[in-house]
Amino acid sequence: MAIYVLSVFIAALFLIFVLELVRRQKLREQYSLLWILFSVVLLVCSINVHLVEWLASKLGVKYAPAVLFLFGLLFCFAFILHLTIVITRLTAQVLRLTQEIVILKEREAAGEHGQNH
Amino acid sequence: MNPDRLSILVIIPAYNEEASIGFVIRDVRKFAPEADILVINDGSSDRTESCAREAGAKVLTLPYNVGIGGGMQTGYLYAKQMGYDIAIQMDADGQHPAEELRKLIAGVAEQDLVIGSRFLETTSFRSSAARRMGIAFFSRLVSWVTGERFTDTTSGFRAAGRKVIELYAWYYPTDYPEVESIVYLKRQGCRIAEIPVEMRPRTTGRSSITPWRSAYYMVKVTLSVLMSALRRPLRRTAVTE
Repeated sequence: MAIYVLSVFIAALFLIFVLELVRRQKLREQYSLLWILFSVVLLVCSINVHLVEWLASKLGVKYAPAVLFLFGLLFCFAFILHLTIVITRLTAQVLRLTQEIVILKEREAAGEHGQNH
Repeated sequence: MNPDRLSILVIIPAYNEEASIGFVIRDVRKFAPEADILVINDGSSDRTESCAREAGAKVLTLPYNVGIGGGMQTGYLYAKQMGYDIAIQMDADGQHPAEELRKLIAGVAEQDLVIGSRFLETTSFRSSAARRMGIAFFSRLVSWVTGERFTDTTSGFRAAGRKVIELYAWYYPTDYPEVESIVYLKRQGCRIAEIPVEMRPRTTGRSSITPWRSAYYMVKVTLSVLMSALRRPLRRTAVTE
């Protein structure tokens, strides 16, 4: 029974931790939603162990924890894909900012010397 | 505007090219004295910036290395903001002779983009067998997806009119951009022509394509060409925004 209490405790702690990060503005609400969803699912599964067993039997999985691993992995893949999409957007934004600043500096310098194109 | 008084910007992206950049700029000033010269110094760690300024070019120094595509696009963005009629891109290593600039300038009057090709006529250009095979592969790939014949899609010696300046300021591929940038323009309905030019073998520096990178190069460029061909054309409103 100790593992049961421990897993509920860890899941609850994780949820609180994520919410605290949002409160302290260390994590954007936008990106926290997936984590909150993840920790709520974790918490529900910890409180009601039969849920996982029921799902496993419905899916025809003999070893119930394998269902947890499956969904855990799928979640990780989805989240990493989401992150690389975010990085792609940020890269494009940083590049455009860099370009605009460099051009702005040059035009300002040219303006100071009174040699506008 | 008077056609004789078209404003021309020569864009030269440079990364650690102190040995050749001065020569290239003086070459351009000799053969196209009416053109403004803009060097995009892509975070060089050598004296590229001061060499270029001494030779009489305008220099935009990027605070970190953004890669050839990001650097090239900076030039097009500048050309767009300053209202240039023609933007010409050429390499900083001296491979593109300024004598050929006149042909590009004349050609772009009829086209949206003119590409200087090494292979339209028998020129003195020579390179390794592997390199020639890569160039031939991309030319056939682009000819296939665009339905138009191209012989030198990796050539970075090009002249662009106002429409292309606008399109490139809006979107330009990031690394190894030459091949995809042709397909992108064809999807936007641009007129592109190749004209035969001579090129020199590089005298200083190394090619950015090392054996290790060439596998990545082939796969990345092939993927981006196919993806570009599958992309819808931008709405004109988005471009002229």
